[in-house]
Amino acid sequence: MGQAEAGTSFGRANRQPMRSRLDGSYGANRNLPMTELTFAKIDQTVLDTLRPASGRYWLAVFLLALGIMLGAACWLYQIFTGIGVAGMNIPVAWGTYLINFVFWVGIAHSGTLISAILHLFRAGWRNPIARAAETMTVFAVCTAGLFPFIHVGRVWLVYFMLPLPNQRTLWPNFQSPLMFDVVAISTYLTVSSLFWYTGMLPDLARIRDTSDGLRKKIFTTLSLGWTGEHEQWRHYVRIYLFFAALATPLVISVHSVVSWDFALGIVPGWHTTIFAPYFVAGAIHSGLAMVLTLMIPLRKIFNYEKIITMHVLESVAKTIIFTGLIVGFAYGTEYFIAWYSHNTVEMETFRWRAVGDYAYGFWIMVICNTLTPLLFFFKKIRTTIPWLFGISIIVNIGMWYERFVIIVGSVGHGFLPNAWGLYRPTLIEMGIMLGAFSLFFFLFVLFVKHMPSVSMTEMKETVAEGEGHGH
Amino acid sequence: MDRRTFLKIVGMGSVSMAVGCSPDPYNAPRPEKNLFSLIHAPEDMVVGRTSWYATTCRECPAGCGILAGNREGRLIKVEGNPLHPVNRGKLCMRGQAALQGVYNPDRLRSPYLKSDGGWRAITFAEAEGMLLEKTAQAAGSGDNRVRMVTEVIGDTLLQLCTETLTQYKSAPPLVFEPLGYESLKSANEIVFGVRGLPSYRMQQADLLIAFGADFLDTWLSPVEYARKFMQMHALDGGGKGRFFFVSPYQTLTGANADLWLDCRPGSEAVVALGLLREILKLGRPTGLSRKLRYQLGNTASAYDKATVSKLTGISVQDFERLTEALRRAGRPLVLGAGLGNGSSNSLQTDVAVNLLNLILDPDLSLFDFEQRHRVEVAASLFDVKETFRKFAEDPPALLLLNNVNPVYAVAGGGEIEKAISNPATYTVAFNSFMDETSVLADLIFPVRHFLETWDEYSGKQVPVSTLQPAMGRLTDSPTLGDLLLKTVDGNKRSAEGYKGHLVGRMLSRADINGELDWLKAVQQGGIHQLPEPKRYKGRAGGPAAEKIEELFSTLAEPHASGLTLAAVPTVRFFDGRGANRPWLCEIPDPITRVAWQTPVMMHPDTLKQQGLKHGESVQVKTDRGNLEAPVYLTHSVRPGMLVMGIGQGHTAYGRYAEGQGTNPLRLLPAETDPRTGGPHFVTGGVQVAKTGRKAKLANTDGSRSQHGRKIALTVGLDSLADLTKKKKSGLTMSDFPLVLPLPEGYDPKLDFYTPHQHEGYRWAMAVDMDRCIGCGACAAGCYAENNIGIVGDKQVMQGREMAWLSVERYEDPDDARQLVFLPLMCQHCDNAPCESVCPVYAPHHNKEGMNNQIYNRCIGTRFCSQNCPYKVRRFNWFSWRWPEPLELQLNPNVTVRSKGVMEKCSFCVQRIKQAHGLAKDEDRSIRDGEIVPACVQTCPTEALAFGNLMDPGSKVRKLAEDPRAYQIMGYLNTKPAVFYLKKVIQKV
Repeated sequence: MGQAEAGTSFGRANRQPMRSRLDGSYGANRNLPMTELTFAKIDQTVLDTLRPASGRYWLAVFLLALGIMLGAACWLYQIFTGIGVAGMNIPVAWGTYLINFVFWVGIAHSGTLISAILHLFRAGWRNPIARAAETMTVFAVCTAGLFPFIHVGRVWLVYFMLPLPNQRTLWPNFQSPLMFDVVAISTYLTVSSLFWYTGMLPDLARIRDTSDGLRKKIFTTLSLGWTGEHEQWRHYVRIYLFFAALATPLVISVHSVVSWDFALGIVPGWHTTIFAPYFVAGAIHSGLAMVLTLMIPLRKIFNYEKIITMHVLESVAKTIIFTGLIVGFAYGTEYFIAWYSHNTVEMETFRWRAVGDYAYGFWIMVICNTLTPLLFFFKKIRTTIPWLFGISIIVNIGMWYERFVIIVGSVGHGFLPNAWGLYRPTLIEMGIMLGAFSLFFFLFVLFVKHMPSVSMTEMKETVAEGEGHGH
Repeated sequence: MDRRTFLKIVGMGSVSMAVGCSPDPYNAPRPEKNLFSLIHAPEDMVVGRTSWYATTCRECPAGCGILAGNREGRLIKVEGNPLHPVNRGKLCMRGQAALQGVYNPDRLRSPYLKSDGGWRAITFAEAEGMLLEKTAQAAGSGDNRVRMVTEVIGDTLLQLCTETLTQYKSAPPLVFEPLGYESLKSANEIVFGVRGLPSYRMQQADLLIAFGADFLDTWLSPVEYARKFMQMHALDGGGKGRFFFVSPYQTLTGANADLWLDCRPGSEAVVALGLLREILKLGRPTGLSRKLRYQLGNTASAYDKATVSKLTGISVQDFERLTEALRRAGRPLVLGAGLGNGSSNSLQTDVAVNLLNLILDPDLSLFDFEQRHRVEVAASLFDVKETFRKFAEDPPALLLLNNVNPVYAVAGGGEIEKAISNPATYTVAFNSFMDETSVLADLIFPVRHFLETWDEYSGKQVPVSTLQPAMGRLTDSPTLGDLLLKTVDGNKRSAEGYKGHLVGRMLSRADINGELDWLKAVQQGGIHQLPEPKRYKGRAGGPAAEKIEELFSTLAEPHASGLTLAAVPTVRFFDGRGANRPWLCEIPDPITRVAWQTPVMMHPDTLKQQGLKHGESVQVKTDRGNLEAPVYLTHSVRPGMLVMGIGQGHTAYGRYAEGQGTNPLRLLPAETDPRTGGPHFVTGGVQVAKTGRKAKLANTDGSRSQHGRKIALTVGLDSLADLTKKKKSGLTMSDFPLVLPLPEGYDPKLDFYTPHQHEGYRWAMAVDMDRCIGCGACAAGCYAENNIGIVGDKQVMQGREMAWLSVERYEDPDDARQLVFLPLMCQHCDNAPCESVCPVYAPHHNKEGMNNQIYNRCIGTRFCSQNCPYKVRRFNWFSWRWPEPLELQLNPNVTVRSKGVMEKCSFCVQRIKQAHGLAKDEDRSIRDGEIVPACVQTCPTEALAFGNLMDPGSKVRKLAEDPRAYQIMGYLNTKPAVFYLKKVIQKV
C-alpha cells in the first residue's frame, strides 16, 4: 500500500457521502482558485513542512521553552509565597489570571467554530485553515485550563472541586458558576481534542506511509491502524460529521458558561443577560484574529500560499468585521441598559468605565475591537498581508483589554463606595502571562513542524469538489 | 540490584521520608519541643476556659477597669470591667492593644547596659546590683543627687518613690505626662480655686459646648465621656441632647457634634467671651461678686455678634444658633480647650468657659470635684523642662526614668536630651522598650508590664482600682515597687514585696478591712462604691476680678492669615506610646481612614491656594524644623489649618513605630505657655512646599461619597415621626422594604430558593448609627479576639488590610463636614451572594442563620469576595506573621488562617459555641444578651447589639423593628442579618 493507494482510496471513499450533501451545491469552493492544486501537490506541500527543522526553528523553540520556564518559576514562587505576589486585593480579587483564562478560552473558540460550524455550513474556505485552527483551539484550551490553577489561593487543594467520594459526603457546589466552568471546559477540551485527532487520522496515516524508522513507528501508533479502507472512510466521515454536530453547541455553550462566571454574580457591570452572546461573539472575534495571527506567518514560512489563499484570509477578515460589529453592538447595549435601568449603581459603573481610572482600557477595547476591524471594509486592506496581520494583533490586544475592563473594571467600583479600589498587575503576573503565551506558541510551533498543519484530506476534498470529481 | 544496594536505598529512602515528615517547614515558626501535661494545674486554671482577672488599664492616665482573659497561662484578651465606674465594661482601642505591649516583639527581655557606645545585655541580678550600687554612691555624694522622673502612677507607688527619694535626701519624683492639661488646671485654679481636674457629669447635661475638648479621642477619660456623652446625646424618647463643637478642626469629637463651628485657631476664647456677653445680658443671678460681674460685662461687651464673627470666622447665624441654644438650655455644660488647642489663648478659653459654667449654674452641679482625674498630679511641662534645664547646671548623680519618653513627646526638648545623655549623670530608664529616651540612658532596666504586676491606680481619686498580674511573667523583670523596696530597706519590707506593701497601705488607709476585703477588691478590680456626691462650695463671689481682667486684657489676636499647624493627640496613639502596637497602626484613623502614616490634613481651599493635590507629598516647615508628609484633603479642618496627629515618627521604639509616619511635635515651638506652663500644640507661620516626590496614602477607603446610594442613612429629628408611617414596598434601592432574614421574609415572587429554616436561633446584629462615634474600639476588639493578621503599610496601600470589622466613614452628600460612621462587618445574609458562587461550599449557611466560612474547605477562588456587595470578606494574600512572642496572644478558640484562604466576620462564632455549651450544661436555651461578640462587648457607646432574631423579646429583634432600622443594599434581596439604625440629625 503506497501513497497513491491511500490517495485514491480517499478520493473514492470520500465521494459517496460527499455526493449526497453536495447536491445542495453550496459551491463555496467555486470561488477558490485551486485549479492548479493536485492531490500530489497538496501532499508534497504539507509533507515538505515536516522536513528536518532549521537551527532558527530550534532557537525559537528554545526561547519559547525559556519563556515557559520563567512562567513556571513565577508560579512556583507564588505557590510558596502566597497569591499576594500578584497585584490583586479586595475589592479586585480577580486579576490577570482570570483575564488570561477568559482570553485563552476565547481564542479556543474559533478553532471549533471553523472546523465544526463552518463545516456544517459548507463554508469551503475553512478547509485550508481548519487543522491549524483546531490545533490552536486545543492548545488554547490547555493554556486557559492552567489559569484557574494559577489563580486559586490553595492550588494544592484544587481537587476539592472534583466530586470525589469522601467521608463527610461533601460534594462540589453545582450552584457555582465555577463548577459549570469545570464541566464546560473539560467537556470542551475532550471534544475538541477528539475532533482534532479524528480529523487528523488519515493525514497521520499518510505521513506514516511516507516515512521510515522511528518516525514510522510513531506515526504507526498515532494513526491507529488507519488503512484507508472503504469501511474506515465511511466511519470516519460519519464520525467527523457527528463530532461537528456535537462540537457546535459546545462552541456556544463553553463561552456562555464562562460568561456566567460573571453574569451570575451580582456585581454591577457583570450582572446582565447579554453576557452569553456577547462573550461568544467576543470569543469568536478574538479567535479569528488569532487565526490570522497564526496563519499569516505559517503561510509564509511553509509556502502555503497556494493552499491558504488570499481568499481564505479575506473570508476570515470579513467574518471579523461581522463579529466586531456584534461586540460593538454589545458594548452599546450595555450602556443603553445601564441608562435605561435608571439604576444609580449600574449607571455609575458604566460612567466610570468610560471616564474613570481604567478608561484607557475601555477605549483600547472599543477602538481595537470595533473600530479598527471596520478597516476591513476596504478590499485593499483586507487583501494586504501587513494590514491583515497588524489588525489581527490589534484585535487580540483589544480582546485582552475587553476582559480586563469587564473583570477589573466592574468589581473595582462595586456597590459600596467605601470599598472601591484599584488593581495593577505585578511583574510576577507578567511573568506568568509571558509563560502562558510561550507555552501556547511552543506547543503550536512544535505541532506545525511535526504534524500536518493543513488537513491534506480536506484539501483534497476541496480540490476534488472544485475539479468536479465525483459529480 | 543486589541485596545490599536494595537495603541501602530503602534505608536512605526511609530517612529522607522521615525528615520530610517534620511539621510544615514553611508556616510553623518552630515546633514545640516539649509537651507537658498539667498534673498540678494552678487553682484557677481550667483547660479550655478563659480565666478573667480584674485589673486596671495603664495605657493612659484615665485608668479604666479591665478584665484580662487568661487561657492556659497566656493572656489572650482584655475587656472592660463592667463593675468599674470609669468605663463600665468598655474599652477603647488603646486599651484593647495593651496586650501588644506585653507581647511586643521589641519588648526587652533583659536589662541593657551601655558600653562602648553599644548595648550589652546583662542579667537582672547584675542590673539590680548596679542599681543598688549607683543609688548608694549617688546618695552618699550629697543632697538631691538621686532624681526621678515618672509617668503618672498610682498613689501607692508614687508615695513609695517619694519615700525612697527622701531616704536618699532627694526631692520627690517629677511626674511627667506629655498631655498634662496645664491650661485647664490653671483655669480651674483661677476660677474655682482648685488646681485639679474635676470630672464632669456630662450625662446629665442637655446642652454640651466644647471649645476643642476632644473627650471622645483622648481628653481626660475618653471611654467614660464617650459613654456619658451618649447617655446625653443618643436619641431617647424622641429627643436628644445637643452638642456644639467650637474648634478650627473637627477631630472625632467634633465629627459627632450637631454643629461644628470652625473658628480661627486661637479664637476659641473670643467665642467664649461672646457667649459670656450674651449670658450676662440675660441678667440671671450669677453668684459672682458685683465687681467681677461688672468687670466681666466690661470685658465681654466688646464681643458682640459682629465682632465675634469677624474675629473668629464663624458666621453670625451659626454664632446665634449657639447663643440661642445656650439661652434655652436647662442644664448646659461647657468644656474648654482640647489638648491640641494649646494655643496662647487656651488659658483664656478655659477661664471663660469656667466662668460660663459658673454663671450658668452657680452650683456647678455637673462638675464633680470629688472625682478628680488622676492625671492632675502631672507636673507642668514648664516644670519638667525647668528641672531638666537645671540638671545641665547641676547634674544629679543618678537619674531614674520610669516609663517616660520626654525626648519624643516634648517639642524642642533639647535640654532633656542633653541632661539624659550627660556623662556626669548615670541614667537608668525603667522601660521595656528602646525608645528615644531610653536609648540615651546608661542602663535600661525593663520592669514588669502593668498586666503582670500588683499595684493600685485610680484614674479618679476616690474609688480604689487595683492591678493584679493576669499572667505569668514573660521575662524575669521585677516590678518597680519591688525594686524600690529593695533599694530603700533591704530587708524590712522587701520580703513581702510590693504586694505586701500595697495591702499594708490599703489597710492603713482603711480602704479595706482585712484579707476578705482585699480578695474582694482584687476580684472586682477595686472598690467601686462611689461616695455621695457633695455640692460644690465655691469661693463666694467667684474668682478675683483683677486677675480675670488682667488675663483677658492679654488676649492674643487669633491667627488671621497664613497657615497654622495643630498637632493633635489621636484616639489611636495618644501621646505616642501606642505607636509600637501593630493593631493601632493598622486600624486606620477614624477620620482620614489612613493607617500607618501621619498625613497632613488640609481643607480643599488650602490645597487650591497652595497648589497641592490630595495624596501628594509635601514638606511642612516652621522655624523649628521641617518634615515630609502626605497631604490629605478633608473638610474636617478649616481653611488655612494644617492638622497632624501626634504619635508616630519615632526614631526608636521598635519595628512597628520606627520610620512610620512623622512626628509633628518637631515643628512646634519649644517655649511653654508663660501662664500655664503648658506646651503649645498650635503654631503659626507654617510653610508648605511640594517635594515632587510621589507619596501613596495607606488609606483603606475608596470613596467618601455615597454616590446617591442608600448606605449610611440619616434621618432628621423632626422627621422621625414620618418613618413610622411610611411602609415601604418596591424593588428599587429607595423603596425596598426591610426584609427579615427569617422564613417570614420569604417572598415567592422574589426568592428562587425556599427559605432557610433555623433551629431555635437566628443570630443577628443591630448597629445604632446614632450612637456610633466612630472610635474604632470595636475593630480593635475584633483584631484581638479573632487573630486577624497585620499586613503593614505596603499591603494596606495595596488594599489588603484584614479587618473583619471596619468603621467606614462617609461624608454627608449635602454637607461634607458632616460625617457618618458606619461599622461594617459581614452581614450574614439569608440570601448570601457569597454562598452560591463558591464551588466547594466554603461559605456555608448554618442552622442558626450565620454565614460560616469553612477555612479548611476554602481553596481560594475569591469568587465569594467578588460577589459580596458589602466587600467585607478578607483574603489571606500571604501567611501573616506574628513575630515572637506576639503569637502568644492568639486566641486558641479561633483558627489562625494561612495563605490562600478567605476569611471574614464570624459573629464571634466561638463565643456562640461557648454559650451553647453552657446552655446545654444547664439545660436551657441561650438567654438574650448572653452572647456578646468582641465588638459589641467593647463598644463604649453601646451602639452594637447582638442576639437572636427569632426571639420576639430580644434586644436585636426590637431594634430590627425600630422605624429607623434598615438594611444596607437591602434591595439586592440579600436579606442581611445586620440592621442599621439611621443616624438622627438634629438641626440646632
